[in-house]
Amino acid sequence: MQVPDAFERITESGGITEYRLRANDLQVLLMPLAGAPVVTLMVTYRVGSRNEWAGLTGATHFLEHLMFKGTERYNKRLNNSVFNVLQRVGAQVNATTWFDRTNYYELLPREHLPLAVEVEADRMRGALIDPEDMESERTVILNELDRGENEPIRNLYHAVWSVAYLAHPYHHPTIGWRSDVETVTPSGLRHFYDTYYWPRNATVSVVGDIDPESTLSLLEAEFGKIDAGPSEIPEVTTREPEQRGERRIVVRQVGQLGALMIGFKGPHGRHPDVDALDVLSVILGSGKTSRLYRRLTDNGATTYINASASRLRDPGLFYVFAMLAPGHTHNEVEAAIHDVLDEIVREGVTEEEVVRAKNQLRAQEAFERDGPYAIASQLNEAIAAGDWKLYTTFEDRLQSVTGEDVRRVAQTYCTADVRTVGYYVPTDTNSG
Amino acid sequence: MSGSHSEDDLLSTRVSEERVGDWQVLAAPMDVDSVVSIRGSFCTYPDFDAGEAVLQDLAVALLDKGTRKRDRFKLAEVLDESGAQVTIVSDALRVRFSVRTLVSALPRVIDVLGEELREPLFDPAEFEKARAYVAAALQREMESTAAQSTSALTRLLYRRGHPNYVLSCGEALELLQGYRLEDVASFHQRRFAPTDATVVFCGDLKGVAVTDLVAETLTGWPQAPRTDVPSYGGILTVPASDHVVVPDKSNTDVRLGHALELLRQDPDYVALYAGNYVLGGNFSARLMSEIRDRMGLTYGIWSSLSNVNRLHGGHWVVGVTLSNENVQAGIDATRREMERFVTEGITADELAEKQNTITGSFKVGLATTGGLALSLLYNAERGFGVDYLDRFPSLVEALRVDEVNDVIRTHLNPAALSLAVAGPDSAPGVQ
Repeated sequence: MQVPDAFERITESGGITEYRLRANDLQVLLMPLAGAPVVTLMVTYRVGSRNEWAGLTGATHFLEHLMFKGTERYNKRLNNSVFNVLQRVGAQVNATTWFDRTNYYELLPREHLPLAVEVEADRMRGALIDPEDMESERTVILNELDRGENEPIRNLYHAVWSVAYLAHPYHHPTIGWRSDVETVTPSGLRHFYDTYYWPRNATVSVVGDIDPESTLSLLEAEFGKIDAGPSEIPEVTTREPEQRGERRIVVRQVGQLGALMIGFKGPHGRHPDVDALDVLSVILGSGKTSRLYRRLTDNGATTYINASASRLRDPGLFYVFAMLAPGHTHNEVEAAIHDVLDEIVREGVTEEEVVRAKNQLRAQEAFERDGPYAIASQLNEAIAAGDWKLYTTFEDRLQSVTGEDVRRVAQTYCTADVRTVGYYVPTDTNSG
Repeated sequence: MSGSHSEDDLLSTRVSEERVGDWQVLAAPMDVDSVVSIRGSFCTYPDFDAGEAVLQDLAVALLDKGTRKRDRFKLAEVLDESGAQVTIVSDALRVRFSVRTLVSALPRVIDVLGEELREPLFDPAEFEKARAYVAAALQREMESTAAQSTSALTRLLYRRGHPNYVLSCGEALELLQGYRLEDVASFHQRRFAPTDATVVFCGDLKGVAVTDLVAETLTGWPQAPRTDVPSYGGILTVPASDHVVVPDKSNTDVRLGHALELLRQDPDYVALYAGNYVLGGNFSARLMSEIRDRMGLTYGIWSSLSNVNRLHGGHWVVGVTLSNENVQAGIDATRREMERFVTEGITADELAEKQNTITGSFKVGLATTGGLALSLLYNAERGFGVDYLDRFPSLVEALRVDEVNDVIRTHLNPAALSLAVAGPDSAPGVQ
């Protein structure tokens, strides 16, 4: 394959090739995939709610909404809004915002890739951020917020993160605090757009039935004319201070059955310990042979339980989440979770458990290669965590995790002093 | 997407169809490494009037709690050792199952599935846990404004006993408490058989003898399939409304709809589907454009032809989620759009746009093992051959706007809408 001069080929891993667009440092990842004649185009901007501060929480999510409201070329007044234009050709199109990134994507028949590239390149720097559009979208986002607040489990999740993180921006929910959503101004959103939406701060991933050479030419034609952007993209400099004692939070809301979440401060996503934490999470809570399932769900104390290791740009939480069964208490379930963790710290895990957990993780990895969108989604999270090759090297890294590693990370991270415990306690009435 | 296809593009040339015992077996090899997705179902025809939907939920909850050959841990080990996922759910007339597995584990995983379906242990020690599990699911539904509004609408549109009539959580919980293990075992014995049974395999099927596998693992049921098919009538035609109080919520869910006397195989269906898509099928449809994008009243609004199948009709429904202070305004705006849709019809441009959308997204939806398996399964349940999926885009492309508008006027009637609202008791007396 002939790499167009406009690009520098950087490296290759797991079937994905990285390029740099010389004109503006845009990172490009291509993965040709035989099979169905479809392709996913995804643009990941390395900006998320971690880049926000009090008064502007929810701004990156709000901006994500406004990115669909139009540019000079694609807008509702011309009857060719982004959704119209793309859905007209059968594309599945959407965007999401989270802690570390905002991503925009299209899954569409391969012959329409040029259209998707044109749209994404156009709105990278061409979004109107119109004040009138902003007002109508504000009420949409407030409804999205209201929908979320209907869900006690979601409220519990946000409460635990908010208490676990006192200083770092992982403290606030990605959708933002209500008062900030109500008051953010067009200039506030414009600030985020002009600070972070540049080629230098973005990765374009194309996965599916593609010809790499012509795809690169297409990307160069559309993205190549955009300025690189500021030489310095602001870094998040706030570090969460060391947690030196257990924290607890209770969420009360009218409802039926309780839930609990225990979050432990973990490492950042590129740290080698996260692989062992992934194995630990499976041993704890994946499948009916897992320790917490057998101890709790199989004994009728919970209806659901799982454990999960966050893989984020900055140190995230390793957490256990449980939904209580009727007639069982938070204290009882919490005590059982601590018991199971203490047992692992004291006695470690069996070789059989490690092998089974690795098999489950490998199978999950294979399932997440079922189609170009699934692959692009996983790649997106690796980009957000700081290294796209986290996705392609996972199996190799997993192979080297031992039972002793699993015990060690349980000992290191699952300690009382760095945990935050949250209870959702259902009440009968609003007065609790 | 239009015009002719090469032979290689056609599903009917890529998908094999066979009968194995009482099972219709479809197999679609795909260019994916190591992964196989399986989707399947069979009919149980519960007596809904007698509350057997709840009994079916309970029976399904006990299937993975041990069989006559293996206890629940031995069954779980087979799945967990390979990372396979097996899910069995109760869905009105049918029991459905889905499997995701690596091809290397396929024989032993599907063996577990077959054993769980055919010969569950019904261990008394597991019964109360299963009952509590089903009760918990119902209790969590009571907290959900979406679930409450959706089920409340069905009780306004159908008589009790219709498959689409969803019992209230309170009534379901009461029935649940009255059942004994013997009732569940008897239900399984009477209703679980490969009646109208289909199983679809998609993915890395190199070297997999699918029909042999089905013969070894999914046949040999003690019960013969049922040959008579119950008939289901009982729709309600007088508009009504219900407000389900779900306290301490910031958001209210609303459903507006009426029953349809239309089966999936009716000639009008595809035209009505396309017409409805213009109203509320995606983000660029009328409802989202007007009520979300222009008016800012909602994060989500949609319309669908719901639960229409080959045995009974379903209903036209519009769903919208509204912050409490916007409930009446949102309902008013939604009614206006539904009225305008029927009285004025759609334009040729709108139809052309959605024809492209439907045919393009149809292709996209078949690009994963799970997506293709589900499409093939639903297609078979509707009584269509695989070639129907090849013809479907052409059926959509052939529609004319006058034909679609006739069908809209024939089947949809804004004056017949019932209204179900689920939200806090502080919401206004909506209508």
